Amino acid sequence: MLPSFRMKREFNALLFAVLLFVGIGSVNPVFLTVRNIALTLQGSVMYIFLAAGMTFVILTGDIDVSVGAVLGMSAAVAATLVRDGYPLWAVVGGALLVGGGTGLLNGVGVTFLRIPAIVMTLGTMGILRGAMFIYTDGKWVENLPDFFKQACQICVYGINLFVLAAVVVVFLMQLYLTTARRGKYFAAVGDNLDGAVLVGVPVVRIRIAAFVVSGLCSALAGLVYTSQIGFVGNVAGNGTEMTAIAACVIGGVSLAGGTGSVAGALFGAVIMNTINSALVFLKVPAYWNNTISGLLLLTMVLADSLLHRYLEEKARRKRLNARFARAAERRACDDARA
Amino acid sequence: MHVLKRYLLRWESVLVLLLIAEIAIFGRINPRFLNTRVLLYSVNDFVCVSIISLFMAFVVITGGIDISGGSIIGLTSVVVGVLWKQAGLDIVSASFAGLATGALCGAFNGFLVAFAGVQAMVVTLGGMMFFSGLALVLVGVSGVSAFEGISGFPDGFMEIAGGDLWGVPNPVLIFAALFAVACVLLHCTNYGRRVFLVGINPNAARYSGLGVRSVVMSTYVLSGLAASIAGIVLTSYLGGARSDLGAELTLPIVTAVVLGGVSITGGRGTVVGVAIAGVVVGLLRFGLQMAGVSSQYITVGTGMLLVVSAAVRGLAFRVSLLPRRSGGGDNIKGGGARRG
Repeated sequence: MLPSFRMKREFNALLFAVLLFVGIGSVNPVFLTVRNIALTLQGSVMYIFLAAGMTFVILTGDIDVSVGAVLGMSAAVAATLVRDGYPLWAVVGGALLVGGGTGLLNGVGVTFLRIPAIVMTLGTMGILRGAMFIYTDGKWVENLPDFFKQACQICVYGINLFVLAAVVVVFLMQLYLTTARRGKYFAAVGDNLDGAVLVGVPVVRIRIAAFVVSGLCSALAGLVYTSQIGFVGNVAGNGTEMTAIAACVIGGVSLAGGTGSVAGALFGAVIMNTINSALVFLKVPAYWNNTISGLLLLTMVLADSLLHRYLEEKARRKRLNARFARAAERRACDDARA
Repeated sequence: MHVLKRYLLRWESVLVLLLIAEIAIFGRINPRFLNTRVLLYSVNDFVCVSIISLFMAFVVITGGIDISGGSIIGLTSVVVGVLWKQAGLDIVSASFAGLATGALCGAFNGFLVAFAGVQAMVVTLGGMMFFSGLALVLVGVSGVSAFEGISGFPDGFMEIAGGDLWGVPNPVLIFAALFAVACVLLHCTNYGRRVFLVGINPNAARYSGLGVRSVVMSTYVLSGLAASIAGIVLTSYLGGARSDLGAELTLPIVTAVVLGGVSITGGRGTVVGVAIAGVVVGLLRFGLQMAGVSSQYITVGTGMLLVVSAAVRGLAFRVSLLPRRSGGGDNIKGGGARRG
């Protein structure tokens, strides 16, 4: 029952995404043109990376609200480096260093210092936001070289490079999490921490690894952001952590840990991004954005929670019945013997 | 001697020392800081954070969290402004409507957390987006410019934050009154005891018939109400209603609660600690501003303060420097998203 349900959650997310596209397309057919769908997918790449990284952390039972700040900081670092003429490997390396370093810091704080994940990542978020301002001196990072800004236009066999990269990365992650032994440790840690410890899973390393992956993915998202937008403003990445968490939840990743997949997170990211652009096509005034996003998140989470409780109750009733059935059987045997 | 030790060797004493050290350091950098009037009037700047953190402590003690406080400030502000200006209500009714808004937002959050069993972090996250969105919608639909907001409130309303009683500014009095209410509610009533018990062991509380769900929901209502009070004070202080008021207050509020000795996993904390921590965090921001430090560094400072205080607290309790009080062992998992 459980494996098929795991598939079902991602399927739900995919179905919702498709319905969303069709629904909006029926109101405004311009939405369904190939060009527009391609544009929407391109815009979702950043959120896909954020949500994929966030999935690792949520799977292990923690949470990471610093992804937006990491995105902003790594974008600022990458933009500054590329503007000042450093080679591409240095630019990418710099961004990844920011992301990985923050992830390491978060992981160490959560595991060794026993600081709750919300608190730790909230603090890291504040520190990085301020650090980003200080690093850029409060100024926008502009005048990026053309090759970098045009990187987001490169097409491979007609598919945008970044979209392809995102899909490949998510595919590899999904493969790792579901088939590799170490990959399955992530969900194990989130599902039952004490059980994982007893079974011999290297819990501390897995939790730190989850945060590092999240940081690295946020850095990748920062690189994508810089290339697509073309400059890095002061509030780059502000609020994206909320969208990332929402994307994960919509994609079927349970915040209690242990359940979910990066594929679902990918669909969730596409959905979240589509809603933003959809509102434009539906001619809904922009100030409805936050309300609709918040309402959608709450509805999905509510549905997920209610479903979870229903399943739990059903499983518990089954166990109870099984126990009583066994007891009744035993009693019947004794009576028959007597 | 033992009794004295019990009263001195507490987290709150550490906080008081921190406060004194803060005032001393800032006083040396800028002697104006030591002026009593300046100190008292500085409270205006951070009273919102302190008010909300007083009652957010209730939520955190039950094991949840509420990050929608900042958005509720904005929503309350806009509700009061729109009702007064566009709908023509008198300012008193508009203010009460604002308070009701806060309570309703809190009830919304609380219902989802307590009765639908959704995790607190996600509910308040969605709530934060939803409430700030509602504020924007109200502003947009009523045709008010989002940038200018609504201003020109009557003098009586401006007195809420502007006036003073015997030299003590009103916001300080409001904070003191709310502090007294929170203190009594949490430490001297049956209700407060139930709040603690729900945080220490929700299952045991449920089996003991403590009405866990209504207790949890009520803490969110209190938190929402506190946010709306803060919203009204802030609107009065700034003289204008805007939808983005309080947007960046989430970090300082959580910092004040964690620094104040409330355990994020629930079951432990005092209102006194949170109140002192609120003042510490607020004075830190104010003092840094007076010392000429730009606001980016202040954000970094607040973030570092949050991390350091959480780490020190955890370490101090593990090394048993401070006596452990009732129940709620050290959080082994430390998983923030799991609780609630």
